[in-house]
Amino acid sequence: MKVLGTIIWVPTAGKGTDENAALNLRTDFPWTTVGIEQNPASDSGAGDQRHMPCSLPPETLDFVIDQLHDEPATLRACCLVSKSWIPRTRRHLFAHVQFDDLEYPFDSWIRTFPDPSNSPAHHTRSLSICDLPTSTRTGTDVGNCIRAFHNVVHFDLNHYAGVGYDNPLAPFFGFSPVVRSLSLTSTSSEVFDLICSFPLLEDLELIDFCPEDGTVGWSPPSTSPKLTRSLNLAVRGGIHSTTRRLLNFPDGLHFAKITVTCIGEDFRSATDLVSKCSDTLESLKVCCFLMGAFPSASLTGQDLTAACGRSHA
Amino acid sequence: MPREHHPDLSKASKLKDLTFLVKRSNIHWVTAALQTVESKNLQQITIRLHIATLGNSTEETGHREWQDLDRLLIQFWTSHSIRPRLVDAPNSGGWDARDRVQCLLPELARRNLLELQ
Repeated sequence: MKVLGTIIWVPTAGKGTDENAALNLRTDFPWTTVGIEQNPASDSGAGDQRHMPCSLPPETLDFVIDQLHDEPATLRACCLVSKSWIPRTRRHLFAHVQFDDLEYPFDSWIRTFPDPSNSPAHHTRSLSICDLPTSTRTGTDVGNCIRAFHNVVHFDLNHYAGVGYDNPLAPFFGFSPVVRSLSLTSTSSEVFDLICSFPLLEDLELIDFCPEDGTVGWSPPSTSPKLTRSLNLAVRGGIHSTTRRLLNFPDGLHFAKITVTCIGEDFRSATDLVSKCSDTLESLKVCCFLMGAFPSASLTGQDLTAACGRSHA
Repeated sequence: MPREHHPDLSKASKLKDLTFLVKRSNIHWVTAALQTVESKNLQQITIRLHIATLGNSTEETGHREWQDLDRLLIQFWTSHSIRPRLVDAPNSGGWDARDRVQCLLPELARRNLLELQ
């Protein structure tokens, strides 16, 4: 690609401007690298007098940076070249954000971007959260921060049993109206209101949680997402209760792909799911744990995730 | 076998891809489910086996169940040209039991229709 040879001078971390040199560049912690702008007005690079002179059209520069979308180290280095390069690199650097309590704690994000409205969260398309505390060590409400991720398309929530809300998952209700893929692993059992808060949801994965008992005491929502792509269901204790609730969704089920882990009598529920989606179903994967041969009481979360192919898809 | 012990796939008319993960030697429910398939669009049948747990399959009952599956898969080949895929489940000890699977599905093996992975 000849155009690359004319304008890219392989930026190297630590060789930028004095301002850039002051940055704490860490390849394993991307948001510290690009936290230099807290004012969204500067996000476009407008008014910046120190940006590198460049006669190329912006769309050409954007094209070049887009080619680096899967090279985070290079993208971080690009942030040090010029402020005019930052908006496009942020789009890729923050496309996927992952929080967990050890390596990428949520508190670090909040310290770096204390004002959610000015954070780069709006660049995030894929958000993965594991072991998130209900309230952070900095005392910030999780829900307030999560709502800044309002462009997330893929949302993955693991091991979250938040307290302090009527529904532990309430902080996540409809935080992004464009969520199309939702994966819940070992979370609170009250997942159905969360599911229905995402109107465009297509892919649903429910792994290893203990469901509420059937439809007793549960009112079906007035509307539900179309759910047109995939369902992956592996529920401790069986899929019966979860299936009953899904079958009561007012707008029906239209999955094209179903992966279901059956325990004992669960085949009846699997059959109900297949029947409900009979007009759209193209792919079915059934994992069988026969009662007696593999008692449900001895099933572990690892068994379930392995059975449904999640860990080795 | 009671109807509720296997999924009824007769209404899934667009079904293209069917996968079963079999733990232990209880293969009969796979056969029962496959017998309900009426989709004319079916293109692929995959059976993920946990080879290490197939220990009792050589017993009379288990062997008969495998023969039933063998016959049914042959029917799918002759009527739909579907070549079944047998996949070893991860961490099951590898395909050192490959020969045993070929014994359990002799007709498929004889016609060289088994796609072992």
